[in-house]
Amino acid sequence: MTKFRRTTSLQRTQQRMAVLFILPALAIYGLFVLYPLLMSLWGSFFTWKGLRMQEFAGLANFSRLFVFPSGARLYGALWHNVAWFFGIMLLQNGLGLLFAWLLFLRGRGAAFFQSVFFFPAVLSPVIVGALWRLLLAPGGIVEWALNGLGLHQGSLTVLGNSHTALGMLIAVDAWNWMGLPVLIYTAGLRQISPQVFEAAKLDGAGNARMLYAIALPLLMPALGTLTTLSFINTFNQFDIVYVMQGVQGNPSYATDTLVTYFYRLAFGAEGAVGITDIGLALALGTMLFLVLSIGTLLMLRFFDKRTVEL
Amino acid sequence: MTTLAIPQKMARLPGWIILAVWTAAVLLPLYILVVSCFKTTAEIYDNRLGLPQSWGLDNFVRAWTRADLGHNFINSLIVTGGAVILTIVVSAMAAYPLSRYKLGWNGIMLGLFLSGIMLPIRLASVELFTLMRSLGLLDSLTGLILVYSAIRIPFAVFIFANFMRVLPSELDEAARMDGAGETRILFQIVLPMVKPAVSIVAIFTAIAVWNDFFFPLIFIFDDRYKTVPLAVSVFVGQFRTDWGLVFASLAISMAPILIMYCLLARQIREGVGAGGGMK
Repeated sequence: MTKFRRTTSLQRTQQRMAVLFILPALAIYGLFVLYPLLMSLWGSFFTWKGLRMQEFAGLANFSRLFVFPSGARLYGALWHNVAWFFGIMLLQNGLGLLFAWLLFLRGRGAAFFQSVFFFPAVLSPVIVGALWRLLLAPGGIVEWALNGLGLHQGSLTVLGNSHTALGMLIAVDAWNWMGLPVLIYTAGLRQISPQVFEAAKLDGAGNARMLYAIALPLLMPALGTLTTLSFINTFNQFDIVYVMQGVQGNPSYATDTLVTYFYRLAFGAEGAVGITDIGLALALGTMLFLVLSIGTLLMLRFFDKRTVEL
Repeated sequence: MTTLAIPQKMARLPGWIILAVWTAAVLLPLYILVVSCFKTTAEIYDNRLGLPQSWGLDNFVRAWTRADLGHNFINSLIVTGGAVILTIVVSAMAAYPLSRYKLGWNGIMLGLFLSGIMLPIRLASVELFTLMRSLGLLDSLTGLILVYSAIRIPFAVFIFANFMRVLPSELDEAARMDGAGETRILFQIVLPMVKPAVSIVAIFTAIAVWNDFFFPLIFIFDDRYKTVPLAVSVFVGQFRTDWGLVFASLAISMAPILIMYCLLARQIREGVGAGGGMK
């Protein structure tokens, strides 16, 4: 009996203490993350005058998003984000797999290379973007090097050319984050039992075949993590574009992304005299939120199903 | 066993070359950044790859004082330090009961926190701006500290809860028998036992906050409160022709992270490899 009462009094103390302990974190998180996010979703169904909410508008903001003059910006930015995602999957997560595999086969020196490859990832995308903007500028060192090697003549304008600018930004982003896939794949490879590789080697499998037929299926969880992270980061892409090409995604919107477009709608610089359109901004935010949530869930399920257990 | 046969070594050569090429691709831009900090603009054009004629600190001094980067640097230190401490304290407090008490609602509450790890908070920036304005937190370092902590709390609660859950239950029971209060159990017994979690949270919060540029961009208008990444993004346009100054400001802004990375590379590699917990 006494024991029973002691546990319940302990539990009562714990309930009270738990509330006190959780409250500060919950208050900060609720006020500065959950509340604004829910209000943004809710607000996308209203008309706005400046930063003031007017009346309920149903889906009017959403239908405005897809037609002239917003439609062209929206589809352009969406296309750039999609291209960015596949570019990163190929350049960053593809090359990263090759690097991780080479390091795994060698073993020796892996920690050194991993540290070097990961270093740019701890730098701010602003710093990385600014650095590459200087290096790739007309008169910059890349131009000088390419001219010296005879690979290019005259002024290098890759960032000012609407055919090459987006590709350059994707490459800079991949340079920035290359260490991430290398670390995640290596951690995945080390979890695979060495006997599996030894058995394959005895059966005469070469390195390429071992990577393709054995390591890759077992790396599905790592690939899933990377695909999901790359998806989220790509569709949040802002910093590199802002620093290297400006908030308009120059030249002539060739590097515009959904978040730079959102930023212009929300905080000005879209339209002739920099007028904001909060209704459109919130509608775009809600759309992006849905795309990101649904996309992430689908990807997690997709890779979950393809996870192979040994 | 230690020496490989010559043909086997030869077969490995292409792989080593690939790894060396990427190493160069990472280190060369950083090398150019470092040496350019010590060159005048004319020297940057004349002597592209070589070491500078002298190791004068002129560019650093001008970046620190004339471009007032010193001021931004202190702001960034305050914001980063404040956000790291606040995040650790409130997240450890929340994770302790959620991972070690039987409350009946642990799962739901933990789920609420964890759902924040992936939330695209930038998309809420309009409402966040309105909120900050009505709270008087625009142009305020406190405002930045609160927003960054709010964003980092989900990840921190996740890490702390995972580490605290596996501690033996005798640990707090024995302390409770001795009459220790719950606050003392958390801060004097449990928290010292999960030091690796504290360092993971501290490292990744510090990197994310130091590097962020988006929130200062929308919340800070007064030069006095600008943080380093925001200031640098302005320099790149403003001092476009003064390359030495811009390179020096980039070097200054990455210096704290560089130092931290050199000291903690192993913890960072393991933290990322284990959880993919960055970004």
